[in-house]
Amino acid sequence: MKKRVIACVLALAMTAGLLGGCGSSGASDTDSQTTGDSNGDQIDLSMFWWGSQLRNERTQEVLDMYMEDNPNVTIEGQFSDDYWTRMATFAAGHTMPDVVQMVYAYMPQYAREGTLLDLTPYIEDGTIDMSNVNEEILNTGKVEDGIYGICNGINASALLYNKTLLDDAGIEIKDYMTMDDFINICREVYEKTGYKTSLSYGAMTSESYMQFVLRVQGKTLYGDGAIGVDSADQLEPFFDLYETGLEEGWLLDPSLYVERVRGQVEQDPIVYGSSPETMSWCGFYASNQLTSMQSAAPEGVEIGITTFPSDDIETAEWLNPSQFFSISADCENPDEAAKLINYLINDIDCNNVLLGERGVPISSVVSEAISENISEDDQKVVTFINDVVTPKSSAIDPPYPDQSSEIVSLLDSITEKVMYGELTAQDAAEQFLEEGNAILAGN
Amino acid sequence: MNKIKALVFKENISGIIFVMPFIIGLICFLVVPLGISIYYAFCDYNILSDPVFVGLKNFKTMLNDELFWKSLSVTIFYTVVSVPLKLIFALIVALLFQKTTKIAGIFRGVYYLPSIIGGSVAVAVLWKRMFATDGTINQILHAMGVEKTISWLGNTDTAIWTLILLTVWQFGSSMLIFLGSLNQIPRTYYEAAMVDGAGKWRQFFSITLPLLTPTIFFNLVMQVINGLLAYTQCFIITQGQPMNSTLFYMVHMYNETFVYYKAGYGAALAWVMILIVGVFTAVLFATKKKWVYDGGF
Repeated sequence: MKKRVIACVLALAMTAGLLGGCGSSGASDTDSQTTGDSNGDQIDLSMFWWGSQLRNERTQEVLDMYMEDNPNVTIEGQFSDDYWTRMATFAAGHTMPDVVQMVYAYMPQYAREGTLLDLTPYIEDGTIDMSNVNEEILNTGKVEDGIYGICNGINASALLYNKTLLDDAGIEIKDYMTMDDFINICREVYEKTGYKTSLSYGAMTSESYMQFVLRVQGKTLYGDGAIGVDSADQLEPFFDLYETGLEEGWLLDPSLYVERVRGQVEQDPIVYGSSPETMSWCGFYASNQLTSMQSAAPEGVEIGITTFPSDDIETAEWLNPSQFFSISADCENPDEAAKLINYLINDIDCNNVLLGERGVPISSVVSEAISENISEDDQKVVTFINDVVTPKSSAIDPPYPDQSSEIVSLLDSITEKVMYGELTAQDAAEQFLEEGNAILAGN
Repeated sequence: MNKIKALVFKENISGIIFVMPFIIGLICFLVVPLGISIYYAFCDYNILSDPVFVGLKNFKTMLNDELFWKSLSVTIFYTVVSVPLKLIFALIVALLFQKTTKIAGIFRGVYYLPSIIGGSVAVAVLWKRMFATDGTINQILHAMGVEKTISWLGNTDTAIWTLILLTVWQFGSSMLIFLGSLNQIPRTYYEAAMVDGAGKWRQFFSITLPLLTPTIFFNLVMQVINGLLAYTQCFIITQGQPMNSTLFYMVHMYNETFVYYKAGYGAALAWVMILIVGVFTAVLFATKKKWVYDGGF
């Protein structure tokens, strides 16, 4: 009899514990709300980002510095590789961290769905100081009538290449290469060294390269509910380059990509491979990736940086917001979150730690101040952005539609078929136009 | 008070209290999400905003979704090829190690090992490296004098076979189940057969195999379900490449849901897969009478 009583009590306790466990997270949420509202009390903030090991370390360090300066603020930093999956579930459950890292491709969707806070009031009242920031850069965070993200660094499309290899072969790369120049170099490198060429597919930058091709013709990749071109002919130059490479033999064997994580610099054929046959002399990347590509390169190999090939670089090229910081619409202490963003953007001590790892700082004052502390490679990136790209660039394309990730997958899978010789450039362009239009029309 | 006591100590009430933790878990984490996902299957739902009911639209979309058909055919091909191969291997190995000697015990352990580390990411990564162009397999082939370098994962003809091979290699759990029932077949049957002059082959086909059919059936059903729901191998090793020749249905569903944020369509894909699994299982059960021995020993 006694045993039974004990057993029943235990069972009840377990059930109660389970129910209690379900409810506890809600309770702590209301706790933080009450403490946050009263002045001088402990304020909890959370921040969420993705990136390399280097970025995680540097970001955590500046958060620690911020907490030291503001003892009443505690910031919980989180980072993840599976970023967008987790972000979607956070947003769905209204548990999005207060300050989040965003990109141009996803931010408009999150802003339109009402999950992000309009930052205009904080910029107007000076909490986030944008006085040293170029208007055009600030507007990259604009969605409809509000500013939903503060760009945290500038980058641009960049062709990274094995400078040592080319120097040895006596081949010189000049900035603003035309398409013919580029193809000639691909041929020459292949003849002289056996190294092949990896195009935008390998670096996961097909979207940018397609934009390069279209902007020259005055077109955009994303039009109004359709691909922004008049006919498939305008898309064809993109696939032509692949087709030419395949016919002439200098295109890297596409089967190599299956074994690697595309876009990850450590596994890129510029720096990784067993023979010239399996390696590339160049890769289509973004400028801020030069530093990590250089550190992934074998000793004695210098990585160079130049523009993507284009026949009219001034219309094709643009300055890109590498990422944004945004504030969640569910944030309980938006004032404090805005102060944190201001710190990350404008504080010189803070940026002396971050050192432009997310791209060249947007504030001209900060960019100037850190220039003496940055490494030679970082300096190369700053020079590339300021002296090579800035004088020859035009405005960025309007924010991307919600389906942009699907379009990128489609472009990749069609490009793959061209590389395997299953589709001609012309058929590929037609197929991309037809299927892309269907996706963008919302089917 | 007495009434409450009487109520609590009635056998079935305390029984219910004991299973409550499990029941609550089942309802919270399985039944409710299952119900919600049926609803999502009929909605446009991008995770970020509220679902909008659209009726059968998602299912109609599927008919025109090239990747749906492609991934379905890849998955069925993979299942139909890998499951029988896996069961045959499991049975052969089980027969080899049926005798309980010390060395057989060690071998059983060794052959079971791949299944313990089963669907894990580590094995998938290992597999990817082994079949890389500069990986172990090609190097062994070179050492054996094969000149050609084969891109196992990059070739549309061979990529799916590397995944099938990985599955067949993990035959351990089926092997254990076979071993269990092999040891239950009474020795006397074999003795009687020997007296009648039956050889080893005859014994196998007339005694072992018929008496094993219930176990084969069980393994077959379990493995077919596992095969249709396979995910890790594709996600880690090939991501569906090259040219979607290894795109498993579950990976397609994952992409739709978490990469393109089309959770409604993803839920619809999941329910179609449940129906397909149901059909496969039903067909297997329908054929059961024809070939499965269901008497005792």
